[in-house]
Amino acid sequence: MSRSPQALLERRYARLGLLLIAPTIVVFCAVIVYPLLAAIYLSLFQLYTPTLEGSFVGISNYRDLLARGEFWISLRNTLVWTVGTLSLQIVLGIGMALMLHQAVWFRSLARSLILFPYFVSTVVAVLVWRWLFNDLYGILNHMLIGSGVVDMPVDYLGSMPNAMISMILVGAWKYFPFVVIAVLARLQTIPDALYEAARIDGAGPIARFFDVTLPQLRDVLVVIILLRAIWDFKEFDLIFLLTGGGPVISTQTLPLLVYKEAFALNQMGMAAAYAVVMMAIMLVFMIVYIRQTREKEAS
Amino acid sequence: MAGVTFSRVRKEFAGFLAVEGLDLTIEEGEFVSLLGPSGCGKTTTLRMLAGLEFPTSGEIRIGDRLVNDVPPGQRDIAMVFQSYALYPHMTVGRNMEYPLKKRGLPKAERKAKVAKAADMLQLTELLDRKPSQLSGGQQQRVALGRALVRDPQVFLLDEPLSNLDAKLRGYMRAELVELHARLGRTMVYVTHDQLEAMTMSNRIAIMLAGDLQQFAPPQEVYRRPANRFVASFIGTPSMNLIDGQLSRSDAGWHFTSPGLTLPVPALRDSAKAGDACLGVRPEHVHLGHGDLQAKVQLVEQTGHENIVVLDVAGGNRLTGRTPSSQVPQMSEAINYRIDSDQVHVFGPGDTGARLNADG
Repeated sequence: MSRSPQALLERRYARLGLLLIAPTIVVFCAVIVYPLLAAIYLSLFQLYTPTLEGSFVGISNYRDLLARGEFWISLRNTLVWTVGTLSLQIVLGIGMALMLHQAVWFRSLARSLILFPYFVSTVVAVLVWRWLFNDLYGILNHMLIGSGVVDMPVDYLGSMPNAMISMILVGAWKYFPFVVIAVLARLQTIPDALYEAARIDGAGPIARFFDVTLPQLRDVLVVIILLRAIWDFKEFDLIFLLTGGGPVISTQTLPLLVYKEAFALNQMGMAAAYAVVMMAIMLVFMIVYIRQTREKEAS
Repeated sequence: MAGVTFSRVRKEFAGFLAVEGLDLTIEEGEFVSLLGPSGCGKTTTLRMLAGLEFPTSGEIRIGDRLVNDVPPGQRDIAMVFQSYALYPHMTVGRNMEYPLKKRGLPKAERKAKVAKAADMLQLTELLDRKPSQLSGGQQQRVALGRALVRDPQVFLLDEPLSNLDAKLRGYMRAELVELHARLGRTMVYVTHDQLEAMTMSNRIAIMLAGDLQQFAPPQEVYRRPANRFVASFIGTPSMNLIDGQLSRSDAGWHFTSPGLTLPVPALRDSAKAGDACLGVRPEHVHLGHGDLQAKVQLVEQTGHENIVVLDVAGGNRLTGRTPSSQVPQMSEAINYRIDSDQVHVFGPGDTGARLNADG
């Protein structure tokens, strides 16, 4: 049986294709697939972190974790933090993008300034905020007492619900520029004629926002919300540096819990189990995101 | 129903004069085209009427109502955009219903009006589709439908046919004329296509650089163009324009250019001897007989006729027409004559006024 030249050529192209994607596959396996499988494997053991010695315990880590109050408190904290800070990011982000989209003289300057919180390192940003929030020397308390709004210094980070609220506000401040940039880019592509048609059709500014702007932003907002939800859900450094999960565990989110189990309590197996559960929850976001992008590609 | 009046309307954009002292009265129920090249101010004029731009000075009235400060939604106008501007996330039905909804009409009434307009424009089958699922011609009809449901005093159309292919454009031209006849509403139509303006309008307003050049019925604009610009802009192929000298003798006025001397019809009292421009429509250049000589430079066969470009004495070119049966050969020497009763004489300059006494 002789092969046609086309079939040979196609086979050669197919081999070239495999060769070209091979590096990506290797890196992907090394940095994603292996750690993922290793985490699942570790979660089936009781392990002492410094030596990684221990014994196989099957799914008992998972049974333990579901029975612990601390897991559920941390999960609730994670959800409160994610929903709270994400909603603020979206509202602030859209508001600011709409403002910057208007023809104002300081627009180009404002556009670069607005990115500042997003670019500044989390450690630096959180240190500054901790100084602002400080109950003894913080400028916030100084101003509030000076203007007579409060007569006692407010404990922003050491009491509840203040600590959670402060954390949500700092998170929103840090990450809303991402929303601004994405929304602004989309706003600039909405044709003016749509707004003009709406004005002639009798739509006021609010109706134009809901009937023209928002539907046009829908696609980009879905992507932003999903991406930011995933990122906020696994946020570690900002929370760890700002409150460390305190007071007690009132602002402790799941990533902080994983860290505590692994490196403070030296329970690597338990930490891995928490991490796997986190991944399972994030998988839900992931599936929604993938489905959304696939739908968009299809249309 | 209402007409539209522009009185001394002027529009300036940061140092750029878009419309200069426009005076224009459009009668009730009239179909008026604003015609001119890009940047002539026709779209700005329409947008001022729509309320999307505000005049720097002057007054705009719809009927008796001064609308200078009235927002677009309260002017009782509807507009069809060049890009159609359909709301992409709404179905055809909801697009057409939107202006009615914003005016707070009850649902049953909205549905009835949309159904009626959809029926008139053959859109009934498409009511549940999104604009992205429609062809250009269908989108155009939806945009028209959205204007139609409102039953406004004045329809504004901003180059609505320019995105359609030639065949569909011809079809939609006829549709629009029919629609205008049926509705009897005032329509203001912006276009740079003189064929559209000529075939559809009751009157054409020809603009250049923010200035109104002539406002008259299509035949009037064609037969008695107010100035050299209008003469060159209206008609395909365009009018032959030859620069030369005007002189007067006992026998009357004469036009002279190198290699050409021609008696011209009676001119106005204001006409002066000196620089002038002669305008001759291609149909008034008769080929094959006469005592003038030229060389055939180019023959364009359009099917029902031929367009012939002649090299005449003095380096000028003249365009003439012959029936399809008479095809001159390239480079052939040919006799011709100009119908001197039908020529136009314009004063000097790009917008030199027409001097013929019949205008």
